[in-house]
Amino acid sequence: MMALQWYQWMALAALGICLAALLAHFLRLLRLGKPVEYSRPAGSTGKAIRYAFTGAMSPARKESAFLHLPTYTAGLLYHMGTFLSFFLFFFIIAGSLPEGWLAKAIVAFLCISAFCGIAILFKRMIRKELRVLSNPDDFISNFLVTFFQFLSIAVLFLSTVQLSNRPIVQLFYYIIYTILMLYIPVGKLRHTVYFFAARYHLGFFYGWRGIWPPENLKN
Amino acid sequence: MGGLTEDKKKKGLEVFETEISSKLITHLNSCVHCGLCADSCIYYNIYKDARYVPAYKVDLVASIYRRYHTLTGKTIPWLTRARDIDDETIREMVDLMYGACTLCGRCSAHCSIGVDIAYLVQTGRTMLANMDYVPGTLQSTVDSAIRSGNNMSIPTAELVDTIKWLEEDLRMEVNDNKASIPMDEPGKSIMYTLNPREPKFFPLSISAMAKIFYAAGESWTLSSRMYDVTNYAYFSGNMEEARIIAQRMYDEVENLNAGRCVMAECGHGYRAFRWEAPNYLKKAFPFEVLTCGELIAEYIREGRIKVDPSKIKGRVTLHDPCNLVRTGGIIEEQRYILRHTVSDFVEMTPHGADNLCCGGGGGQLAMSEYNERRMKIAGMKAEQIKNTAADIVCTPCHNCVDQLIQTNAAYKLGVKIMTVAEIVAEALVIDPSIEKPGL
Repeated sequence: MMALQWYQWMALAALGICLAALLAHFLRLLRLGKPVEYSRPAGSTGKAIRYAFTGAMSPARKESAFLHLPTYTAGLLYHMGTFLSFFLFFFIIAGSLPEGWLAKAIVAFLCISAFCGIAILFKRMIRKELRVLSNPDDFISNFLVTFFQFLSIAVLFLSTVQLSNRPIVQLFYYIIYTILMLYIPVGKLRHTVYFFAARYHLGFFYGWRGIWPPENLKN
Repeated sequence: MGGLTEDKKKKGLEVFETEISSKLITHLNSCVHCGLCADSCIYYNIYKDARYVPAYKVDLVASIYRRYHTLTGKTIPWLTRARDIDDETIREMVDLMYGACTLCGRCSAHCSIGVDIAYLVQTGRTMLANMDYVPGTLQSTVDSAIRSGNNMSIPTAELVDTIKWLEEDLRMEVNDNKASIPMDEPGKSIMYTLNPREPKFFPLSISAMAKIFYAAGESWTLSSRMYDVTNYAYFSGNMEEARIIAQRMYDEVENLNAGRCVMAECGHGYRAFRWEAPNYLKKAFPFEVLTCGELIAEYIREGRIKVDPSKIKGRVTLHDPCNLVRTGGIIEEQRYILRHTVSDFVEMTPHGADNLCCGGGGGQLAMSEYNERRMKIAGMKAEQIKNTAADIVCTPCHNCVDQLIQTNAAYKLGVKIMTVAEIVAEALVIDPSIEKPGL
């Protein structure tokens, strides 16, 4: 492994800060404890929480998904692309980039996911109810994540044509990564942690009252 | 509006400290403003107003939290549009939290993230209640309950008189002089509650349950001291008043030494006492709390009452009260009853836990200032009813009954509105062979 450049150290430091901040959010939730319920339960919270993360998320059950299949699909691909880009970071910083068909497949997928991000951004700008709902954080978050995906594509693509050492692209990549990592805990991107907690609490609520999972019902 | 003082502001913000929990912090931080919840809201569907998107209502509450409790909100509020509590924010909150949400919870179930939107609107109402901004009409309903013991301020003598003549009617109807509507009798198996609308406007609904209790030979009693199933403080967001009302009901069940507290047909009343009250009072109840629908289904299952479906003429559809079904978990019982009691039962689309609110929930019926909005959003329910081609719309909730009666008139549906107990009482076959230990 090559010696790391200053901007790579900066990116790693930002990653550390991001993880520590997200951990702090998570620990705060843990410290506040599990929901306290005095009413008699009517169902299984365990089953309902599992359902909250599985069946309740599917387009077959969730109205926000089945009424908006293009947005739902774009959102899904965009999130997959985001996680793939984050995963790829470790290979990029280690200097062991995927090669051949794998590199091409990743580039192709990231292109699709980044365009999904742009489509979601445009939707936010075009639809009136989304404009009213949105704040600068919504646009910055989308921009940073989408831009980072494009830079991941650039780094990977340049490596496939043997131009991976283009320092300006690399520098840009690490700077955006650093900004993104520092931004995640303060903006809406912290739903990285809160999404899981929200599904847990919703599952707990519906499970305690015997509403989820719906398989319990005869109807 | 107006009149915001530093003291009021402080009281409003206290919610983020006194009610702090993992659940509250989670939901305040989770919304990503995707706006996909819009289609789950009856207000947005009718008005197409961006402010009625549930996420916008969530953001009103969350933006205040961000302003006072997050580093970003304190230092660069424009970034996340963190809002100060000021007169403009209060005006918008009152209009949206009270006037544009029935707390039906449909948006929560369908939120792409899993934000409990109705819970956050409820939190917003609690903030407003702490600051003394509950709409006067809703607050007067709560005041009546606190002052007189029931939300319609019915004097005890009037209730007792009504019950007496209903008892005489019951005796004539079942041709049995021993038939009774017991009042304040300790040691019975069941304490049955009433919605004050029943003695005031719909006494035949009390007769219906009395007849069912008679047919089942049930050991039951009413209370003249605390019978009001409703808890409008749950809607106003004043937790202290909600606690007082719940405590009174708890004390009366204990006082009468009843093993079961059976709630009259009232969605929010059931939710408030069955699910919320133990948390208000911070104790597990030693008695069972159930709806009369659950009890009637039990009677049918156990053969304690007999019904003849041919007595109910016409097609029957069912409206699911949100607080009973989506957030109360009573989904199957009313269907079980109707499948046994009527010969032509048809479901609305959607139904069950996915039902559409009638528009009268969340205290809307008590807030006359929002009447026009309430009747406009009822259009979605009217359309659903029309599509079933039903002759009778049945619902286990007196609040929904009121809204459906008005919807029936406003949208010229030409249907009959009944409660589940009324349908069962009409289909009831009085079997003299069944023992009546409760008499």
